[in-house]
Amino acid sequence: MLEPSATPKLELRNITKWYGPEGTGVLAVDDCSVSVQKGEFVCVVGPSGCGKSTLMTVGAGLEEATHGEILIDGKPAGKPGPRRSVVFQKFALFPSETVAQNIKFGLQMTNVPRDEQERRVQQQLEIMGLTQFRDSYPSQLSGGMQQRVAIARALAMQPEILLMDEPFGALDAQTRTILQEEVQRLSHQMHYTVLFITHSVEEAVYLSDRVIVMSRRPGRIKKEIQLPRDVAWKRGDIEQAAEHPEFIEARREIWALVREEIMAA
Amino acid sequence: MAVNASPSPILSRPLAYGATSLGILALAWVLATSVLGWVGPEVLPSPLAVIARFANLIVEPFAGAALFGHVLASLERWSYGVFFAIVLGVPFGIFFAWVPWFRAVVNPVFETLRYIPPFAWVPIAILWFGASTATQAMVVFIAAFPACVINAQLGVQHVDNILVQAARVFGADQLNTLRRVVVPVATPSIFTGIRIAISNGWMALVGAELVVGKTGLGFLIAQGQQNDSVSTIFVGIIAIGVLGVLIDLCVQRLERRLMPWQLP
Ligand SMILES: Nc1ncnc2c1ncn2[C@@H]1O[C@H](COP(=O)(O)OP(=O)(O)O)[C@@H](O)[C@H]1O
Ligand SMILES: [Mg+2]
Repeated sequence: MLEPSATPKLELRNITKWYGPEGTGVLAVDDCSVSVQKGEFVCVVGPSGCGKSTLMTVGAGLEEATHGEILIDGKPAGKPGPRRSVVFQKFALFPSETVAQNIKFGLQMTNVPRDEQERRVQQQLEIMGLTQFRDSYPSQLSGGMQQRVAIARALAMQPEILLMDEPFGALDAQTRTILQEEVQRLSHQMHYTVLFITHSVEEAVYLSDRVIVMSRRPGRIKKEIQLPRDVAWKRGDIEQAAEHPEFIEARREIWALVREEIMAA
Repeated sequence: MAVNASPSPILSRPLAYGATSLGILALAWVLATSVLGWVGPEVLPSPLAVIARFANLIVEPFAGAALFGHVLASLERWSYGVFFAIVLGVPFGIFFAWVPWFRAVVNPVFETLRYIPPFAWVPIAILWFGASTATQAMVVFIAAFPACVINAQLGVQHVDNILVQAARVFGADQLNTLRRVVVPVATPSIFTGIRIAISNGWMALVGAELVVGKTGLGFLIAQGQQNDSVSTIFVGIIAIGVLGVLIDLCVQRLERRLMPWQLP
């Protein structure tokens, strides 16, 4: 079980992000604090354009925050690196490299020993059901398969923190459901520490231990909702989970908060 | 599967169209010259006359060399010019797009230089190098260089920033980001530039040979004119066109080999 007082694995502390000059540019995120404990799955939901991606980009170290800091285990996180892996909405696979090469990319860049690279690539190919596509190029795969490769590429790094920005947003409904269930199963098995961005309230309730609702732009934290952990209904498929009273109640509560923000825009 | 399956439609269609249009052109040529005699041989020689002259030029030196010698001379200068245009221009263009301060500093100079036609450099090239291979190679270089730079630059600029972010997330430094992500993604555009550079260089070379030098296809044409040999001029012109097409085909082939990941 989690101790609420423990130092968070990942902490975004008082993040403010202006695009362009402070005061006259675009204020995307305004004084947001988010922390994720080790082994915790946290979802951020909010209306489109509220600054979710910005929060993640800053959290990954890809953009500098205007104010605030990013901490891992209580220490400044610094540049992007193997401790944090990212899954992007638009897959962001390297088009000139095969599936196996994409998965291996980060391992090579961070000087993982060769035989260990091979082992991890093989392992991820198996876990994500990609073995037969090992030598395919991303352009030869469907969107769902491409996102599996992106997830495999991130997991192969064995990161301490996984950041996912609407990873299923670009997929069709059936593919999305399958991948949601796989991610749910994986995260229960492996106890990943995940910060997951989505605009889907159902996805958030199904996958996460805690949901953070953001306001419309400039994004602020509107509310945090703790969800029941380690309950049976979260381990089945999403259709069954969606019939559970706890799921329905949480979805209703969160959706009401998100709706307020959308309607007020 | 039937052995004699219908030929691949991707290849055969354009090939068939191409053959048809060339055939019609040849037919019109035969009709206009040999059959109907609309134009006299001093204006437009008949295909037969050109073929005869072609056979003749292969064995008999004209303007200092047989046809093959002129072709080799042209190809040599062209290769030097294009080679340096590519090996300098492509990295220059990549650097141009990747390093903002470099672009800011160099762009005004580059933009000005690139509007000077290659032939404007002929006099200075002659002063520097005399009537040598280097002179013509320099004209080729000047004609070919900007296309290499600009297309490499555009290719790099159009690489989706999210790929660069992904490379950073997975620990790539600048050099690895360029090597494994940015340059491969920019390769189609780089090749477009190379193909333009190759044809620009070829055209500029023939132009330069018309004015300087003692060999080459441009020189052959110029000498054909001096000697009132219209059929020699036509052999030269056709050789220039055919060689241009062949070179381009080779490059396209290389392009497909280098980029197996591209959608057809
Ligand atoms: N690079 C950028 N430059 C300027 N404005 C940006 C940039 N990226 C995002 N924004 C703006 O910041 C706001 C938040 O964007 P984003 O974080 O992408 O929202 P979300 O992911 O929640 O849809 C939007 O108004 C968007 O237009
Ligand atoms: Mg977004």
